[in-house]
Amino acid sequence: MDPTTSMYVAQGIHGIAYGMVLFLIASGLTIIFGMMGILNLAHAAIFMLSGYFCYQIIAMTGSFWLGLVLAPIGTGIFGIFLERVFMRSIRASGHLGELILTLGLSMVILGLVKVFWGTQSLPMQVPEIIQGMVNLGGLEYPIYRLFIIGMSLVVLVLMVLLLYKTRLGKIVRAAVSDRDMVNALGINIPVVFMLVFGVGCWLAGIAGVAIAPILTVFPGLADQVGMDAFIVVVTGGFGSLAGAFVVSIIFGLLSSYGIQFLSQLAPVLMVIFMAIVLAIRPNGLFGVKE
Amino acid sequence: MNILETKDLHHDFSGLKVLFGINLQIEEGERHAVIGPNGAGKTTLFNTITGTYHPSKGKVFFKGKDITGYKPHKLARIGMGRSFQITSTFTRLTAFQNIRLAILAKHGIRFNLFRHVDKMKDITRETEKMLERVNLINERNVPAGLLSYGKSRALEISMAMATDPELILLDEFAAGMSRDETHNAVALIRKMTEGKTVVIIEHDMDVVFSLADRITVLHYGKILATGKPDDIRDNQDVKDAYLGDLQV
Amino acid sequence: MMKKTIKPILWLALLVILIFFPKLFGVYYTNVFVTFAIFATYAVAVNVLLGYTGLLSFGHAMFFGAGGYGTALALKHIDGLALMPAIGIGFLAAMLLALVLAPLVTRVSGTAFAMIHLAFGQLFYILALKLRHITGGEDGIGNFPIPAFTIPGLISIPLKGDPVNFYYLAIVIMGLSLWLMWFFTKTPFGQIQVGIRDNEKRIDYLGYKIPQTKAIIYVVSGAFSGLAGCIYGLFHNLVSADGSLGAMISFSPIIAAMVGGVGSFFGPIWGTAVFQVIEELTHRFTDRVELVMGVILILVVMFAPSGITGAVNTMKMKWHAYTASKAKMEKTS
Repeated sequence: MDPTTSMYVAQGIHGIAYGMVLFLIASGLTIIFGMMGILNLAHAAIFMLSGYFCYQIIAMTGSFWLGLVLAPIGTGIFGIFLERVFMRSIRASGHLGELILTLGLSMVILGLVKVFWGTQSLPMQVPEIIQGMVNLGGLEYPIYRLFIIGMSLVVLVLMVLLLYKTRLGKIVRAAVSDRDMVNALGINIPVVFMLVFGVGCWLAGIAGVAIAPILTVFPGLADQVGMDAFIVVVTGGFGSLAGAFVVSIIFGLLSSYGIQFLSQLAPVLMVIFMAIVLAIRPNGLFGVKE
Repeated sequence: MNILETKDLHHDFSGLKVLFGINLQIEEGERHAVIGPNGAGKTTLFNTITGTYHPSKGKVFFKGKDITGYKPHKLARIGMGRSFQITSTFTRLTAFQNIRLAILAKHGIRFNLFRHVDKMKDITRETEKMLERVNLINERNVPAGLLSYGKSRALEISMAMATDPELILLDEFAAGMSRDETHNAVALIRKMTEGKTVVIIEHDMDVVFSLADRITVLHYGKILATGKPDDIRDNQDVKDAYLGDLQV
Repeated sequence: MMKKTIKPILWLALLVILIFFPKLFGVYYTNVFVTFAIFATYAVAVNVLLGYTGLLSFGHAMFFGAGGYGTALALKHIDGLALMPAIGIGFLAAMLLALVLAPLVTRVSGTAFAMIHLAFGQLFYILALKLRHITGGEDGIGNFPIPAFTIPGLISIPLKGDPVNFYYLAIVIMGLSLWLMWFFTKTPFGQIQVGIRDNEKRIDYLGYKIPQTKAIIYVVSGAFSGLAGCIYGLFHNLVSADGSLGAMISFSPIIAAMVGGVGSFFGPIWGTAVFQVIEELTHRFTDRVELVMGVILILVVMFAPSGITGAVNTMKMKWHAYTASKAKMEKTS
């Protein structure tokens, strides 16, 4: 491969890897929104928190693999805690109350993280087996990013199985398309909400662990990556998983090629893309009218 | 002349057909009732006429003009007003402020940013006159959300009429009212719609037969019959399809 | 009757306090008060959109920043620019930004409206950081000239480095802005605005155009946010990405409005006062302002969703009910 082509290919894979991470965050956000009507602004902070959990587990046990498995689970449990204690009590006060509440939660999580771990960037080492480069037909490519893509695909398959093969998944899909219907079916909604919130946070947790070795763990992570995930959900259409997937990948590519050609202004591309999509389709790419 | 006319009006909700070729003719100055069992498509018919939905096929004419697909605010400006089955007032504004919004709309005062609204004497006077006519003057300063059911329905109806439309569509104005409240509401509508065209959707047969000049019966999205109350009462199809179950 | 005589006296007292404030409380608290006046105006401008129309924006910092950067850039690059035109440029910059965005954002509502603003707010923050040659990047634009307030042939009042003179300029402009916005809510248009908050569908059926109405409110809200940002920039003689465009600049007026009560015009002003006192106190004991603010937000949403003014109104109603029942009891006994 000549250098230019290999550069394009490398940036493409970079973009897909970042897109997959975005999708992990955005999918949780969009499912929670579709099901419960809540846009969880604390989602970005929860994503970041998982990175810290993983850092802590590695610091205590020395095992990246343990962190990779346990940190997202811990994050999911934390999400369930948030849902039970906070979300449930303000269901009645409308979307303004929910947005403000989750904004408050996000600020508290961020504040607490700074109390416990400080503000500096915490580096994270990955095991040797996924370190270094691999040769892809003449192109030297970091293994870890391929590992991210692989892991995200595994999670994606798991999600599809969960959504299409389990009772919970069927309820969730039904609820996303028609919230009132599920209420009428006599399903124990509070438990379903709790599980959905937990799974959503678990997904964000996986993303948090996946991105940590690349970007390191620091409080700004929530803003930097979380903001992109929010833009994905708005652009893809609230509640649409397909929309979240397509837009995540587009944003991943926009961001990686953008950095190549416009270095400084890559984040601007996403907002412009969002503005164009919303100007044509106010409810997002795959959004349905509310 | 027909003030309102629909020609071959169809509507479906992503495949679920609700209206099948409705040809409705409303004569100027009449009080026309649309009746029919639940799910006959009455409210959908209203919504396609008043711009909430765009009909999937067919046309709507108002004063001879094609108004198919007009947005609600445009219809309001050319003289069509409506009320809602579910009370749809401004709950945190007082009865006075509710009516005043309608009066302001009637006078086309929209983007006035330079005058204190409380100092517009004519508007205040006209609003109060309206409140007196509809017996809400004692509730002048009560937020609409705190009015009794009957009073809030009266407010709902009077808002539809305060813009002084030529054609008024009332969607089940008596729903949930007690006998007395219904009686008062009917009297109110008689008084307020003198010389205007009124179309009502109604379940209460006493209301329908006491108020309407003509009746259209809707059944499964089609017009079963149209005619004077007596003709409708005697119509065998209508009896079979509808009145039969209600034992009128 | 009592109320009619008390009201002018209260206003007069307030005016006297405002005039002698610098003499009474010294420079430090005068500056604290200027900050309060700026953020109170900003919070009211945000609440014109939030409380009166039900539109939540997570990106109003872009208007606040547009005002600040507009004025700062004008003063830096245009020699001999007078004060009022410079402030006017900041005001117009914010207004123009709102005008450009209005056709896009008024088509969506609710959560999407909030999130689009979050994204645009972030966009302007990044632009201010990256377009270093224009905005000065992280350092921002500082120490730009601040002309004296002059009425040709009459007076010339220096402002740069004179906090007391600046105080008078700030409170006059902020006071005027507050009065204009208050008047705005009392016009026929203001009534339509409240109608949209309560029942958008009905407003449509009365014959008002929703998107155009929202657009005007949006522009008013943006322009006055910009004016607040412009005075803020002059006050510090500095505009920077973090100080004028950061996420906290978008969130703090929302928090102030929530704490004070979004349902009332003056609520956000009380909210700003509480907010400032808390910030001042927190700063003394800890630098975890974010944490404290987050906790306050959560507590307000969970336990007092209509804010201070809401809580006061509820208490008033209870008190009236109590006195009424007491009077009744006395009557019967």
